Amino acid sequence: MNHTHLRTYAPAELDALEARFALRMTARLTEHAADLPQDVSERLRFAREQALTRARAARKTVAAESTTVVGSGSTLSLGRGEGGSGWWVQVASVLPLIALIAGLVFIQRLHNDSQISAAAEIDASLLADDLPPSAYSDPGFVEFLKAPRD
Amino acid sequence: MASDKELSDFLKSVEKRAFKRVAYAVRDDDAALDIVQDSMIRLAEKYIDRPAAELPLVFQRIVSNATMDWFRRQKVRNAVVRNFSEYESSSDDGDFDLLETLASQDESSATESASESVSRAQILLAIDGEVSKLPARQREAFLLRYWEELDVAETASVMGCSEGSVKTHCSRAVHALADALKAKGIEL
Repeated sequence: MNHTHLRTYAPAELDALEARFALRMTARLTEHAADLPQDVSERLRFAREQALTRARAARKTVAAESTTVVGSGSTLSLGRGEGGSGWWVQVASVLPLIALIAGLVFIQRLHNDSQISAAAEIDASLLADDLPPSAYSDPGFVEFLKAPRD
Repeated sequence: MASDKELSDFLKSVEKRAFKRVAYAVRDDDAALDIVQDSMIRLAEKYIDRPAAELPLVFQRIVSNATMDWFRRQKVRNAVVRNFSEYESSSDDGDFDLLETLASQDESSATESASESVSRAQILLAIDGEVSKLPARQREAFLLRYWEELDVAETASVMGCSEGSVKTHCSRAVHALADALKAKGIEL
């Protein structure tokens, strides 16, 4: 009988009726929850205070993390990160590292090039010399070269 | 970022409802208090950078997850206890008795509040009892939607289900509560 009675309502009307009944129920639940035993209320208050203490500590940590040290060349600057610039701060903090690696690679190449050119110079002077290169494999000639000159 | 006052006011406004919601689910006040405390701390530590307007939804989600974690831990603990109890012949009776006692307490409270002449406190207690008897998902949807006043989409995201399921759960919960209270002669 109840079902046939409900079927006469439009869906929107039924929703409204359900919501009205539910809100009456929850109002009573709120009334009942307000009368929680003293020990439960105290524990909830303690939990709240603990959470607030942790929140203060978390805020300090977040503030400390957002203060980043950005190195650029020979100068150091302290930058305070803000909401929108966090990404740029991260990119800026990686740039010196990239510059350092590029510098090291450049120095290595320069070193290799200078070694190759030095070897080439020696080869060229050896080949251009009157003395044949096979003379250097002669032990007597090597001894002669090592011997101190007067 | 929510300020100290905003967080404090929010927690104060929501803590009793959160406790009752968890207590309905876990049926253990101490465990419910632990879960609410853990949830508050998790909110304060992990989500303090969120704007104050987002706190209700985030907190409800944390409470739901913490409750689920509690049930998972209980399941593991009970499995371990069950495994050990297989070596003891009479230890099953204890759990069974406890369940029977709880069931009989529920029944007795129901019969006490069946008359129209019950006091207001008893009516509140009866409503409390009927809510706690709802199936878990229906109760969760009902409390989040109408007590925590989340909208259907928010309730669905907290419960991890579709909006259609939320509507169905809520509707069934309302009808079940209405029928149960009517049977007890209680009118709101």
